Amino acid sequence: MKTITGAIAVEGKHIVKDFQIGNTTTKVLKDISLQVMQREFVSIMGPSGSGKSTLLYILGGLDAPTSGQIMLNGTDISRFDDEKMSRIRRQKIGFVFQFYNLIPNLNVEENIMLPLLLDGKKMGSYKKQLDEILELVGLSERRKHTPRELSGGQQQRVAIARALIGKPEILFADEPTGNLDSKTGAEIMSLLREINQSSGQTIIMVTHSPEAVKSTSRVITVQDGVIQKCV
Amino acid sequence: MKIIMKYILTNVKERKTRTAVMLLSILLSTTLLFVSFSIGASYESAQRKMARGMAGSATVSVEAADGAIDKNAIPELKSIKFCVGVLEGLALYHENGYYETMDLIAAHLTELNQTNPPRLADGGEISDLSGNQVILPDRFTSKYGIEKGDTIILQIGGEPITLEVAGVAAYDTVFLRHTRGATALLPISTLRELLGQTGGYSKILMEPADAVSTSELKNELSAALPGGEYQVSEVVNEAQITADARQKSMPFFLISFFSLTMSVFIIYSSYKVITLDRLPVIGTFRSIGATQSNVTRILLLESALYGCLGGVLGIPVGTVVLKLILRGMGQSLSQGIEIPVVISPFSILFSFSVALIVSLLSAWIPVRRASRLPVKEVVLGTVEEKQVPRPVIVGIGLVLFAASVILPKLASGNMLYIAGGFSLLGLIAATILIVPLLTNLLSAGMERLYGGIFGNEGRLAARNMRDNKNIIQNITLLFISISAVIAITVVGNFVTTYVSDVFNGAELEGFADGYMEPEFVEQVKEMDGMEKVLPVYVFENQMQGNGLTFTRLEATDNVEWYSSMLALHYTKSGMKEQTVSAFSEERAVLLSESCMEQMGVSVGDMITLTNGTGQSEYRVAGSFKSRATDVEAVIPSRYAEIDFGASVYDFLAYTAADPDAVMVQIRDLFGETSNWSRTVEEFNTDALSTVGAFLQPMHSMTYFILLLATVGIINNLLINYIQKRRTIAMYKSVGLSNKQNRKMTLIEGFSSGLIGAAIAIFVSYMEVQTIFLVAGPKISTVPELDAGVFLSAGAMGIVVTLIGSVVPIFKSRQMKLVEEIKFE
Repeated sequence: MKTITGAIAVEGKHIVKDFQIGNTTTKVLKDISLQVMQREFVSIMGPSGSGKSTLLYILGGLDAPTSGQIMLNGTDISRFDDEKMSRIRRQKIGFVFQFYNLIPNLNVEENIMLPLLLDGKKMGSYKKQLDEILELVGLSERRKHTPRELSGGQQQRVAIARALIGKPEILFADEPTGNLDSKTGAEIMSLLREINQSSGQTIIMVTHSPEAVKSTSRVITVQDGVIQKCV
Repeated sequence: MKIIMKYILTNVKERKTRTAVMLLSILLSTTLLFVSFSIGASYESAQRKMARGMAGSATVSVEAADGAIDKNAIPELKSIKFCVGVLEGLALYHENGYYETMDLIAAHLTELNQTNPPRLADGGEISDLSGNQVILPDRFTSKYGIEKGDTIILQIGGEPITLEVAGVAAYDTVFLRHTRGATALLPISTLRELLGQTGGYSKILMEPADAVSTSELKNELSAALPGGEYQVSEVVNEAQITADARQKSMPFFLISFFSLTMSVFIIYSSYKVITLDRLPVIGTFRSIGATQSNVTRILLLESALYGCLGGVLGIPVGTVVLKLILRGMGQSLSQGIEIPVVISPFSILFSFSVALIVSLLSAWIPVRRASRLPVKEVVLGTVEEKQVPRPVIVGIGLVLFAASVILPKLASGNMLYIAGGFSLLGLIAATILIVPLLTNLLSAGMERLYGGIFGNEGRLAARNMRDNKNIIQNITLLFISISAVIAITVVGNFVTTYVSDVFNGAELEGFADGYMEPEFVEQVKEMDGMEKVLPVYVFENQMQGNGLTFTRLEATDNVEWYSSMLALHYTKSGMKEQTVSAFSEERAVLLSESCMEQMGVSVGDMITLTNGTGQSEYRVAGSFKSRATDVEAVIPSRYAEIDFGASVYDFLAYTAADPDAVMVQIRDLFGETSNWSRTVEEFNTDALSTVGAFLQPMHSMTYFILLLATVGIINNLLINYIQKRRTIAMYKSVGLSNKQNRKMTLIEGFSSGLIGAAIAIFVSYMEVQTIFLVAGPKISTVPELDAGVFLSAGAMGIVVTLIGSVVPIFKSRQMKLVEEIKFE
């Protein structure tokens, strides 16, 4: 196993996740424990149905574990109520999805600013930050466009910008290149790598792509609900 | 086929809520359509019955030119189904200063029972009537506290005659009348004796045989009877009765129109979502070789299933509702007119067909569109809806709106009805096209406003409404529903007022009808609290103008007061002033619009008035219509005195601080002189007792349309939630809390309710204008619109939308976030 140094960004302790389908209970995650350090760029791999995405969503607070703890900067978030968890999503976590999940009738600027707006911030006060992030993702010229007027790669850039606008402690990405062609996928990975290297942004990413894995510092392989290897 | 049916039934079972809402909307639409048609028909039939009054099913009358007519005089014709001889007389009833004119009628009961059977108030039949017995209608006995077994005194031919009340009849059949007073039924031998007649009848009423029209029978009789000795006439003007009945049942047909429009919209919007939902299955079907028509057939079969079930269930439910409504009416009119329950095979077939056709057609457009999509796009889930450029849509909407407003104003005659129908549909269709633009403009304004009031959640809620198809759909349904409720309420209230309050808008508070010398009028003027007194000379069937006999010509010394007292609506603005000036300067005559049309004269023309004793030229000063009076012509009093020798007033209208106190004094002043004097309040109470309960079903139907609207809105909000689920999940994934979601959903619900209500108020105002423009030539009053009706319906719409928002709020609390956002 690779030696990790520095402060822990997120830690999963004995995570178990069961799914009930009819009368059958399926154990998707079987007592998983892991730590991700600050500034790390970690990828989670594994075959379909291995539980990698479920692990990501549990670590990112979008799903709750059946048992176990999620420690975010030393605080257990696994039993937070809706109000506290929503605040964590707005302030501490950024999420990038395979299908972008942009609000179709909001334009690029509004989509990016959404976490801040939900946090009660004024759009005008964050103009500089917005300009910088648009510059970073290369969409300054398309700020007034709606998602349906953008290509898949551009939509994913908007999703990345939205995930980063609140300066989150961790960026979670669920197969960010899964819906893109290889060239655009490579561009997105290059952007994520740049974000990790230039600002030290912690990133945890689920991927199927061996190409995408090359950009990350550590690879965790999940199979049948357990961590098979961590390199 | 078996597999397809299984697939359809599985769909129906799996989507329980949606199936229930779809079925409920079709069922309610069918019920509403069936009830409104049947009530409309029942109402029309009752109206006909009232208009025919004592004639019943007889439509032709034969009278002798002089005196009585013998039944033997009527030739035996195959065209006659049966005939009844009716003897008529007049009487006067006097009680505590009240005078009531009474028509006495008599006929052989066996004959009468064939054409127009009288009905006792307790439901029984009149089987025997003899000696000095009389049967009086409940409307009369209850007014004067008369009961069965009492004796009453009637003045017949100037002699007081004591009669025993043998029974109290319902205000129905022979007792129905459309003029003031009451009708009393006597044994034929008694009435003959009282009138001093030895035989014969006043007239013979006849019903044509089946397949023989009234005019055919009339012509045949005219040809068969010796000319000059007999007068053959139609009992009632069928065309007029039909027109009147249609006018009064208009609200029910309006209810049908709106319920149909709402059903189409509800089912269409549901199917749009269903087909969207089924796109993956459509893709699968197409990829394994199903043709476009296969897919269309499968999806249409499902809608046919909803249509058939809704239609089949809607008719029995409608029948129960119809009976409940009519029973309610029956109870409140227990001693009044019996309302026939008309359930025609047409209304059953029509309602069922509409349910099926509306279901199929509403589904056909989205289904056809879905089945025509390229297979690859459907399978890959890359289908994008084709957008028609907005300027084109808005342009069409604006043109349609303008046409809907202008056309009824330009049309006349029968074209007016066509233009009116086009306008009602056009206004709704045009607004549907303009709603997206309006919503965007209004939500842009709200975004700024809400930012300040509700913070970022308010701003986002308003922002979410822009270009949001679900919200637009909600607003559309809401505006259709609210405008339906408003239009029906306004028209319903108007009809109630129109039918029950003929003095609506008239200034007079009381009137006296009797022999009044000028000194009498002076004494009335001196009474305490008297404000305005308007004495009028009346010439009934005495005066002729250009060869036409006026049924009523009146003369007044103050045409300005006359106009306001009797709510005259002049044909053109400025005509009132012209008339006032002409009346003070010359021999002027004011004509009713119908009279003017009949005479073929115009303002400024000269007509010759004559009553046999005098003759003079009068200039036509203006024309009018009025609900408060059936006068055909009005002239200045001083010329009525000079030219026609008028000296005694016959009618007097007044306003006073206490109209009741004045009425007591007027009755006292009349003493034993026959008169008919009432305050307007007394008159209206009388009128309302007859028609008030009759109009009740209209209000019941308004609740029904509201129920349909609520089901539609909840259906839409559910559809909205189904489509919005993923967006809510996206918001939640970036930090939207349940509390914030609740706030945003409620703001969104309130705002769409507000926009829908505002549009509905405007559209219904335009629709009401169209309705009254079309009805205008038939009615003589201008409807007063109550802002309260518009505002309360709007508020109700907002409340319904807010209540409907509760379901999505609760559903999104239990949402499984990952399931919603993981897959596209």
